[in-house]
Amino acid sequence: MGVLEQKNNRNNREGFLGWLDPTRYGWERFSYWAQRLTGVFLLVYFVGHVYETSSLTSGKDAWNAMLELTQTVWGHLFLIMVIGTSTFHSVNGIRIIFTELGKGLGKPGRPDYPYYPSSLNRRQRSGIWIALILAAIAMLYGSNVLFSGE
Amino acid sequence: MSRNLILRESQIMKVHYITGVAALFVVAVHILMRLVVPYGSSLEYDHVIFNYHNIFYAVLLEVILVLVSIHGFNGLRVILLELRQSTRWENSVTATIIAMIGLVIYGTRTIIIANGLGT
Repeated sequence: MGVLEQKNNRNNREGFLGWLDPTRYGWERFSYWAQRLTGVFLLVYFVGHVYETSSLTSGKDAWNAMLELTQTVWGHLFLIMVIGTSTFHSVNGIRIIFTELGKGLGKPGRPDYPYYPSSLNRRQRSGIWIALILAAIAMLYGSNVLFSGE
Repeated sequence: MSRNLILRESQIMKVHYITGVAALFVVAVHILMRLVVPYGSSLEYDHVIFNYHNIFYAVLLEVILVLVSIHGFNGLRVILLELRQSTRWENSVTATIIAMIGLVIYGTRTIIIANGLGT
């Protein structure tokens, strides 16, 4: 294959679909795209939150009108999603930082069949599970606060 | 990767991790400020303006704004660079920095004006 042909060959580029394919790499693949999707979701929320709070500068009526948007069942459900995604993103992010620092990767071993990489081990998977469990607990707590109004 | 980068990608990723961990602590304080008072009254206009008048809280909000903006928009930049690679694309993706600066300016405007408003 020539250099130009190689440059234009985009068959191996899957883009978003490559991320979302759950059939490869197991939980680590899930963690990979969940970290990115929650990150993009939280960035959108953050931009919205900065815009929402800017209504303060237009006075009490503008603030109350903006606040009413989140004081509905759908508004509460959206905020519960924010609580869950931010908890997952934070805890899984800490796991990724440890991984980047080389912690919890295990010792490199001889590549024997079926070639399970030592880096994708129980410690890494338990980190993902802890992130999911803490996100679920945070969502339950958030639901209780939001729907009880206390 | 673009040749005009001031920082190497490894240094940018260190900034990404540091801003992420730092944001975790300051956002936790921000949320705790909501939970130390009854949830319903924590969002009342007068209470929110009262918080903005506290200079330490105003500085905390500014720190959150800067840290989360850097972390968030750099995260978006990394995602976009993973999706596609070409010099033109990479230069276009740098526009996320302009969006980040715009958001920080807009949020800072709110903090400054709210800090000066009467209750």
